[in-house]
Amino acid sequence: MSLRELKGVLLLLMAIGAAAYFGGGTTFGSFNAETSNVGSAIASGTLTMSDQVNAGTACLSAGGTPQNNVNPACAAVLALTNVAPGVYGGVAQVTVQNTGSIDASKLYFWAPQVNATLNGALTNGNAVTALTVTPLEGTVTSGDALVVSFGTQTQTFTANAAASGGATSISVTSLAANFSYPIGTSVSDTSSDTTANNTDCYDAKTTTPGTALATKGTDLNFNPVTGNPFCGAALIFVQETTGGNHYCWLGKGSSPENASGMCSAPISVNLSSALTTGGPITSLPVTALNGNVASGDSIVVVSGSNTQTFAASANAFFGATAITVTSATPNFAYPTTSTVTDSTTLSVALNPDTTDTITNFDTAHNTIGKIQLFPLTGNGTINNTATVELSHFNTGTFSRIFQIGVYLPAPAGINQNGLQGLQSTFGITWHIDQ
Amino acid sequence: MHAFHYHNVRASAGRTSSTWRLKKILASLIAIGALSTVTVTGTFALLTSQETNARSAAASGTLTFSNTIGTGTACLSYNGPANPGNVNTACGALITSSTQNYPGIAITPVKVTIANNGSLDGVALSVYMPSCTVAATPGAPSPGGGNPCAAGGAQFSIQETNSAGVATACRYPSGPVTCVFSANTLQLFAANANTVTSALNLGSGPAHGQSRYFLIGLDLPPTAGNALQGEEAVFALTWHLST
Repeated sequence: MSLRELKGVLLLLMAIGAAAYFGGGTTFGSFNAETSNVGSAIASGTLTMSDQVNAGTACLSAGGTPQNNVNPACAAVLALTNVAPGVYGGVAQVTVQNTGSIDASKLYFWAPQVNATLNGALTNGNAVTALTVTPLEGTVTSGDALVVSFGTQTQTFTANAAASGGATSISVTSLAANFSYPIGTSVSDTSSDTTANNTDCYDAKTTTPGTALATKGTDLNFNPVTGNPFCGAALIFVQETTGGNHYCWLGKGSSPENASGMCSAPISVNLSSALTTGGPITSLPVTALNGNVASGDSIVVVSGSNTQTFAASANAFFGATAITVTSATPNFAYPTTSTVTDSTTLSVALNPDTTDTITNFDTAHNTIGKIQLFPLTGNGTINNTATVELSHFNTGTFSRIFQIGVYLPAPAGINQNGLQGLQSTFGITWHIDQ
Repeated sequence: MHAFHYHNVRASAGRTSSTWRLKKILASLIAIGALSTVTVTGTFALLTSQETNARSAAASGTLTFSNTIGTGTACLSYNGPANPGNVNTACGALITSSTQNYPGIAITPVKVTIANNGSLDGVALSVYMPSCTVAATPGAPSPGGGNPCAAGGAQFSIQETNSAGVATACRYPSGPVTCVFSANTLQLFAANANTVTSALNLGSGPAHGQSRYFLIGLDLPPTAGNALQGEEAVFALTWHLST
């Protein structure tokens, strides 16, 4: 098309436009009709979650200071004191719930990286040479990348000196803040969780005794914390108990998965009613189990100097109030104060275990090795093709329940004095995706 | 060769045509679509929610104890060197050579208090004698050449009491509640309870914050001959507590 032809076309279009503008009223027919659909709207849903430790207050993801639907400061799961090797440690129940309106297609848990939150605000444009933080969970190594996050803002600093677990300041290479990060902003060491020395779990000597006036960790000279030895010895397990189904997600019993879905979780309970010597019994009445019993395990009942070992003849899971045993007559009238333990779980399954430690959880199941929590379909079985792993609030399975426990094993013939008076501190992260 | 020519001709002719431009646009769209398909998880934002249960803690207790002779200063298990830890080999002697011993006349028993000052209960207390060796009594003019650690030598006992000093059990030699000296007992104890694995089992406890009390008895038998004059038995007693 030549320039001349183009000009002709444009002039024609102008003429048509002018006619339409000025002559419109008489150009169209006199009959017409019109409707308008007004007030259309589109509203987004929500994907939020909560977690609740035992009967505590539910911690909301949306309630976190960082304002990015990430709450880095939910309650501790466990606070175990005066732990001894070979003795029942403790367990806590965590309920994870979808509090939003959108189904979560994925539910994960993993070991967090070394982390803290800002305890001193940063000012946009000001040079930062140190991050003032809440007691650091884990150890920072010089050169580590420290990611500071608040809302959609994020900035990476570089540590220029080591910072021990519990430290409240991290020295960083000077850098101007790109945002005014407030107190409560999350801080994560993305270089961490690679070795026993830089895990989220860290050891420190106890500064208060396990019992009144007793010795404490700082009194002792044979319990160094280098390499976080208590984190490396203490065993951890996570067993799901949602809807009465069981699945061992972490710990002894998870790899390979126990056929019954039970972790090797020790028990320490009392008799719920006294035994009599009048005849054989086939069931031990106990307070709600705080662990599992596998069929065939040896169940030891102790009262003072009296002791008797029964053989479990069926599995019993968390919460059960009876242990089925092979018929036997009690050798003593055991009162309700008698303790009941599972010696098989302790001596056979857990005491030799050096694999299922908190350290290994941190290094193997951090943000890279996260554990996906497929829905349970029965004891020890899951649906790994399900499209929803945590339904939106108030429908389907919108809550899932987990038992998390720690046990310090007593390996035969090993002097564990180096673990006296130490405290391991660690975290666990729960995450859902749309 | 033919293909090479064909390709060149087609390219040189097509690059100036609107069809070629359209093809380029479509090819770009295909590439973008393919790229977005491949990188979809990293390209598009999803709703996520996350929370961390921070600062769970598990703290171990302590198992330490003290050993006090009479009314002396408590010797602490954890005041020894760091390696091996919780072992103190420098606690005071029960009795010294300044305390002379005569046949048939027992010395005053030495009170030893074992106090659990840790936070954990002691499950097993035991005691053993790593060695017993003979030496000339310092200052003795003419040692007799005998051996109080050997058969026919000194007699030895471990009496447990309550805090008031009342006998509760004779731990060595075995017998009634109140210990009675018998022949060769120092030699036998040193021979049979000389390592932690062969130690004399003293039973359970003390629990944390609790103490146990022992009287260590020594005696030369009434039948001791002159060979034991000017001789001394040098020995250690090691107390061991475990969970």
